[in-house]
Amino acid sequence: MPSHVPHSSGLQRLIAQLAPLLIVCAVVFALPVLLNNDFLLNKVARYLVLGILTVSLGLSWGFGGILNLGQAMSFGLGSYAMAMALKLKTVPVHTGASGLPDFMVWNNVQHLPWFWEPFRSLSFAIAAGLIVPALVAAALGWFMFRGRVTGVYVSIITLATMVVINLVIIDQQSYTGGFNGITDLAQLEIFGVAFDAYGRATYYLVAGCVLLSLLVAFAFTRTKAGLIVQAIRDHESRVRYFGYDVALYQIFVFALSAAIAGLAGMLYTVVMEFASPTFLGVQLSLSVVVWCAVGGRQSLVGAFLGAVLVAGMQGALSESAAFLETWTLVMGALFVLVVLFLPKGLAGLAQVVLRWIVQRRHAAGRGVAQGVGQTEGST
Amino acid sequence: MDQFIEQIVTGLSIGSILLLVALGLSIIYGSMGIINLAHGEFVMLGAYAAWVFHTYLGLGLLASLVPIFLVVAAFGWVIERYVLSLLNNRPLDTILATWGVGIMLQQAVRLMVGSELRYVQLPPALSDSMSVFGIPVSSYRVFLFVVSIALFGATWLLMNRTTVGMKLRAIIQDRSVAASFGINAKRVYALTFAYGAGLAGLAGALVSPLKSVSPDMGTGYVVDAFMVVVLGGVQSLAGTVASAFILGELSGGIAFLQNDTVAKAIVLLAIVVLIRFRPEGLFTARVRA
Repeated sequence: MPSHVPHSSGLQRLIAQLAPLLIVCAVVFALPVLLNNDFLLNKVARYLVLGILTVSLGLSWGFGGILNLGQAMSFGLGSYAMAMALKLKTVPVHTGASGLPDFMVWNNVQHLPWFWEPFRSLSFAIAAGLIVPALVAAALGWFMFRGRVTGVYVSIITLATMVVINLVIIDQQSYTGGFNGITDLAQLEIFGVAFDAYGRATYYLVAGCVLLSLLVAFAFTRTKAGLIVQAIRDHESRVRYFGYDVALYQIFVFALSAAIAGLAGMLYTVVMEFASPTFLGVQLSLSVVVWCAVGGRQSLVGAFLGAVLVAGMQGALSESAAFLETWTLVMGALFVLVVLFLPKGLAGLAQVVLRWIVQRRHAAGRGVAQGVGQTEGST
Repeated sequence: MDQFIEQIVTGLSIGSILLLVALGLSIIYGSMGIINLAHGEFVMLGAYAAWVFHTYLGLGLLASLVPIFLVVAAFGWVIERYVLSLLNNRPLDTILATWGVGIMLQQAVRLMVGSELRYVQLPPALSDSMSVFGIPVSSYRVFLFVVSIALFGATWLLMNRTTVGMKLRAIIQDRSVAASFGINAKRVYALTFAYGAGLAGLAGALVSPLKSVSPDMGTGYVVDAFMVVVLGGVQSLAGTVASAFILGELSGGIAFLQNDTVAKAIVLLAIVVLIRFRPEGLFTARVRA
């Protein structure tokens, strides 16, 4: 089989690897032309955002071997950063003199707390939505990977950390909106463009971020650092014996993945028009793992499609409660089957099918060539 | 002083429930290296079984304990046999598979009996209260404490004084050597998992009179139980007992001084720090070899 594949140049291989990514992004960008329904478009934008979140998990889990069960923590932090900025932009209804958010007024907070103050600037909020999750992840990563915590214990620590932050957010109602989250937000406005959750502009913003995050993640997996990260996944101690600082690479991929999740979180606030503690809940965090596993944890495009398809199907069926209940049952079964029989997810399946087609084509091509040779010989 | 004793007794009561739930998890995790995220659902199944036996068959809680153990153990056996045994070499994937199984169980129960809260009656013989160190305590809580210790004793005996337990310990040490001595590792694993599941079912049945029964009741338990197992150290039953009561006292104490949320957050943080700094003692987990 390898002898039939021509020695492709690096560029050709790059194009072949990028092709699925670009095709998927082209479809994402073309969708508004076909879908003339703002309500549906908003829904699709939501699934795309969840797709970005799942790509971020694919990066740390599929490529770094770090099963982060608390991926929604970074997502939630990004989402709150955006919500805080947009909340301060609203024309408040129930405020005191200084334009306090309404829930603070209800909780008898007199002054805007210091950590809310910088969020008056949107650019600060956007930077914070990327940097805060990355820093938190880097700190947690430093804490874990310097201690050579691996495998299941990483999962337990990340899950527990997320639950702690979730509890704190719910508990500190007067500063975070507590259980209700932060609602009644202003529209995001950048350079005079208003991003209405149901508008095209928002959809294209999300689509652009899909392309950006897929490209960044893809580029990272092809850098030297990205290759070392994958080597660590496959054989940690061997990489350590080569003299690499294993923890440093793990921390980096962990933080990069968190920053992408933070980006997804910010977009989610724009699309959903609120932020809620459920955005960093156990439910969402584990769902992301399912999407990633179903799509294919070692394929960025696979992880993205896994999220969009599964979340989208769930959304489509949720119109009817009976369907949704059955669907959850089916999804559980589907998930178990994927884990058992398709450890590389749908992307792995697609790869097998593609290889099979290519092989058959080659076989057929050889047959024709032989046929031609025979006729030439006979004449 | 009275308040202090009361606090201690509350902690013991929380601890005994933790121990009940964690015991099955500890067996499964310690001996098979399987992170069983469906454990909470086994607890839930046990609670529903108690409700079904009571509502449809008129059996009291105490009388139905043995059948509940058997029913949930059978569930566990089937799941080990047809799902987990296929994942021998992929311990991290057992997290995912058991989580999927958990979703299915939860959803199946929701579809069959609805998501309304159900209530199970306290056994009439244990519905009064008695005095412990001069503090009035519900007899049922004392009963739970005694049962949790008794189940721990039974499990210890099973592990250390029976042939099955010896075979299991042999497999934990070296599966292939054990197999070459004629031990049927598959069967022992299936039985172990079934036993752990049965214990979870018992735990669910026993806590059902104290809390309402709902399809998602297990989720909370599984996290707490994990923390107990992690704190106590894998493969150490005695460690599980100690950590169940330490965590019980801690959560009770901090909840008394601050509030429930802060208690939970502090306990979780403490465990995160512990995992980081005591890896050798707590994490010499032998994954299925």
